[in-house]
Amino acid sequence: MIIAAEFRKLRTVRSTWMLLGIAQLIVVAGVCGLMLNRDDRDSVAAQQGALAHVGLVALFSLLLGIMAIAGEYRHRTITDAYLATPRRERVVLAKLVVAAGAGLVLALTAAVTAVVTTVLWVGPALSLSSWELWRTLLGSIAWNVLFAAVGVGVGALVTNLIAAVATALAWIALVEGIVAQLLGDAGKWLPFALGSALESAPTSTGGPAPGWAGLALAAYAAALVAVAIATTVRRDVT
Amino acid sequence: MTDVAVHGLTKRFGGVTAVRDLSFAVTPGVTGFLGPNGAGKTTTLRMLLGLVRATAGSVTIGGRPYAELPHPRRVVGAMLDSIGFHPGRTGRQHLLISATAAGLPGSRVDEVLDTVGLTAGQAGRRVRGYSLGMRQRLGLAAALLGDPEVLVLDEPGNGLDPAGMAWLRRLLRDLGDDGRTIIVSSHVLAEVAQTADRVVIVNEGVLRYAGPVADLATPGGSLEDAFLRLTGASR
Repeated sequence: MIIAAEFRKLRTVRSTWMLLGIAQLIVVAGVCGLMLNRDDRDSVAAQQGALAHVGLVALFSLLLGIMAIAGEYRHRTITDAYLATPRRERVVLAKLVVAAGAGLVLALTAAVTAVVTTVLWVGPALSLSSWELWRTLLGSIAWNVLFAAVGVGVGALVTNLIAAVATALAWIALVEGIVAQLLGDAGKWLPFALGSALESAPTSTGGPAPGWAGLALAAYAAALVAVAIATTVRRDVT
Repeated sequence: MTDVAVHGLTKRFGGVTAVRDLSFAVTPGVTGFLGPNGAGKTTTLRMLLGLVRATAGSVTIGGRPYAELPHPRRVVGAMLDSIGFHPGRTGRQHLLISATAAGLPGSRVDEVLDTVGLTAGQAGRRVRGYSLGMRQRLGLAAALLGDPEVLVLDEPGNGLDPAGMAWLRRLLRDLGDDGRTIIVSSHVLAEVAQTADRVVIVNEGVLRYAGPVADLATPGGSLEDAFLRLTGASR
């Protein structure tokens, strides 16, 4: 019931489709940019780098997650959601499920786009039998799903859409780098670094194994959502 | 037949007491919930709906707090200023989402659109282009989705033109005559005096009067005089 309503909400706003579309453009541009500058297009490393762009669009999955809940606060449609479901934690969890699903769809679409674009550059030389390529694709998809979940946590915690989006973008563009320097070696356990490690792109070195990176990122998402639920059920909706 | 009972309700926001030890009961029929702006009406209605936590006291609907109703939207329909619409969704999409979330059949959407007088063409347009009056009708349609026994309407007349007001009064009267419990807030007595069976008057978060409209007037004084006296305004 709540999940069906949340799915309908997601489908009936234009921003969902815009994010999905822009993510594809970014992937196409990213793959083309990489291929233009590589002489070793047929190598596994180059192709892995191309497909790793699927992981980078996790930024869009993060935004989808944030908008799923903070967007409702912005337009004050959250009141209606809580009137239908006074147990607010259920609303947040339904959003978590739907946003994670949306992240999965966005990542799968981006994966198809990335593979097709790569094939256009390298033709039959695509190393489909290489486990490395598949590991990057699967890791990238997981990164999207987990970042969508993180987004729901951030959105439910901050509730102000502009503030939540600004926080997320500032973290990725600026804050994580600074915090990582302060933390030294432990910096590889910060969210964006974990995402890179998860997709095991050639550019991410020294991070934890993908499995551990995925678990750690899931722990971040779970912790954020748990704290967000604790504040959401207590907060006055005005 | 569902009663709403308010018991010793108090709400403090920081150091400000918005509602102070408020107690009254609302029975089937139309009840006007009156008071000047800032009297605590909206806060009281939000506490009734479980949106705002009471500092003390309780509100029950048919004996239960809102949050404990098994199918809240089937029991209580609400129209509040704070229920918004996504400007990019159509009116119909908004109602469909509401109905889905509440576990109500999609066929209710057409029924309530009909009740509030929104045409299929209007319902198919994005809310961005709605007039204030159309938004009020859409909000009312959403409140009616669950065919609820209790209706909570916060200033439903805002933005309606005189014809719209007349239509709203008739609709409320009909719904009240069905035996529904209707609470309509307003800061203007004249808006509800003709429609309401009873009124509850609050001022500065304190109950000033609860009873039949007819008993409000003192000999020789008008309803409006009584209202202004109770809410401490002077002319």
